[in-house]
Amino acid sequence: MNVFRGATAIVGIGQTPYYKRGTSPDPELKLALRAIVAACADAGIAPQDVDGFVSYGSERNDGQKLMWGLGTKELKFGALVWTHGGGIPGALGLAASAIIAGHAEIVVVYRAMAEGSNERLRVAVAQNDTAAQYLVNGMDGPAQICAMRSQRMIEYDGVPRSCLRDMAKAAYFHAKRNPNAYGRTVDLDDQTYEASRYISEPYRLFDCSRENDASAAVILVSAERAKDLAKKPAYVLSAPIGAPHGWGAAEENMIDYTSGGFKSVAKRLWAQSGYGPKDVDVAQIYENMTGMGVAAIIDHGFCTPETAGDFIRYENLIVPGGTFPVNTSGGNLADGFIHGMGLVNEAVRQIRGESPNQVADAQLSLVTGGPGDMVVSTALLGSAATL
Amino acid sequence: MAQRERIVGGIGADEEYWNGLERGVFQLPRCTGCKKWMWPAHFRCGACGTWDLAWEEVKPEGVVYSWTRTWYPFDRTRERSEDVPYVVVLAEIPHAGGARVMGVLSGPEDKLKIGAAVRGRILAPSPKSKGYPSITWELA
Repeated sequence: MNVFRGATAIVGIGQTPYYKRGTSPDPELKLALRAIVAACADAGIAPQDVDGFVSYGSERNDGQKLMWGLGTKELKFGALVWTHGGGIPGALGLAASAIIAGHAEIVVVYRAMAEGSNERLRVAVAQNDTAAQYLVNGMDGPAQICAMRSQRMIEYDGVPRSCLRDMAKAAYFHAKRNPNAYGRTVDLDDQTYEASRYISEPYRLFDCSRENDASAAVILVSAERAKDLAKKPAYVLSAPIGAPHGWGAAEENMIDYTSGGFKSVAKRLWAQSGYGPKDVDVAQIYENMTGMGVAAIIDHGFCTPETAGDFIRYENLIVPGGTFPVNTSGGNLADGFIHGMGLVNEAVRQIRGESPNQVADAQLSLVTGGPGDMVVSTALLGSAATL
Repeated sequence: MAQRERIVGGIGADEEYWNGLERGVFQLPRCTGCKKWMWPAHFRCGACGTWDLAWEEVKPEGVVYSWTRTWYPFDRTRERSEDVPYVVVLAEIPHAGGARVMGVLSGPEDKLKIGAAVRGRILAPSPKSKGYPSITWELA
């Protein structure tokens, strides 16, 4: 038995409303505080007792900036996980590791974004890690880079375009029943999707996530401590981060080009958790762009490029009825985009039975990080019954 | 070497690629130890541990590995706003170990598909390429 599996749990979740990008009434640091305080209230933990702070990507609201607003008694652990959205489940993994190692006892994993505060899109998304090979050649960033990878996934690997469309449709369908979803008023049918403009082929408008100003946070503690708290714990069964040989900062020369980068971490996820793709009840699949979510699903072994057309099909992706319900709050596309952090909260709600599109008797809940990132991660959360 | 504001985001070992283009030479790096093509350019050969790489002139010919046609004027490449829609090709160079090199597509696009043959042409530094020289691919 490994020391990681089920040793920690998420016991509190918190989130601010989604604001249109650039319109948050609060600066970013205040959004972070709001989400963290809400997660503490949800967990029944005093904000000043949080002693660890973990985030990912370009988060700038570090623990040291938050601690005066939280009344932090002692900051015992703080770290940022590589790289962009790829690091989200890995941030859960690092927080859990810190608890297991005894560095800290109550660790918050969070993300806050307000374009007005830090010009995230211009400055922070880029993190100055876009190579000259892209920018010189008219490639601005993720949308175009992912588009080129998805184009080969479609044209060469033979994954049907309908998979991209159906990922978008499922997200917007779920958002209709989520009163907090930013995209809940959109009716996305085949015609609306096909008529939408191209952003960068093969992506249309509805294939792309749009940024919000918002913040989300989750609180992790040891499994032992979790038992005494108010909410049903979502145990962290596995949360590996990594990249296989031939991935990383490859400037489009990755060996497994059309992959989302998850094959190595998925292998470790299933090995450490003791579960496999067939056991998963519900999945939150990070879709910066629909096509990359499709790659993530294939990487995790839920289907192959050959079976993707049948498996990644609208009817199979929705609640109720689908065997593989994804992005049940609406996901990055239609719920809202806090650099993917909202997906973690929804993965926890499914274990608790609190989702706006609840999967009946959900016990195993998957959440995947930003696909195509230079380092990626994935996590499997489970109820007490899965331990 | 011409004056250009160095883009610092990548690995940063490809300066000689740009210098080569500036001289009108398309060159890619190769490990002097195991002769493996090292693209993206790096400071050490991860295969054999050699620290020295040599830049070799390569015929700018390859095949389309993938491509995207961009319809949105993105912020950080706004110098190309007037060009949308434009196609960026990721060309695979078989005679350089399958190195994949990006470049904007020039000329007719009707035969654009994965596997199609492309030929490269070197363009002088311009604002569109952020003061860098660049290679543009054309369908052969």
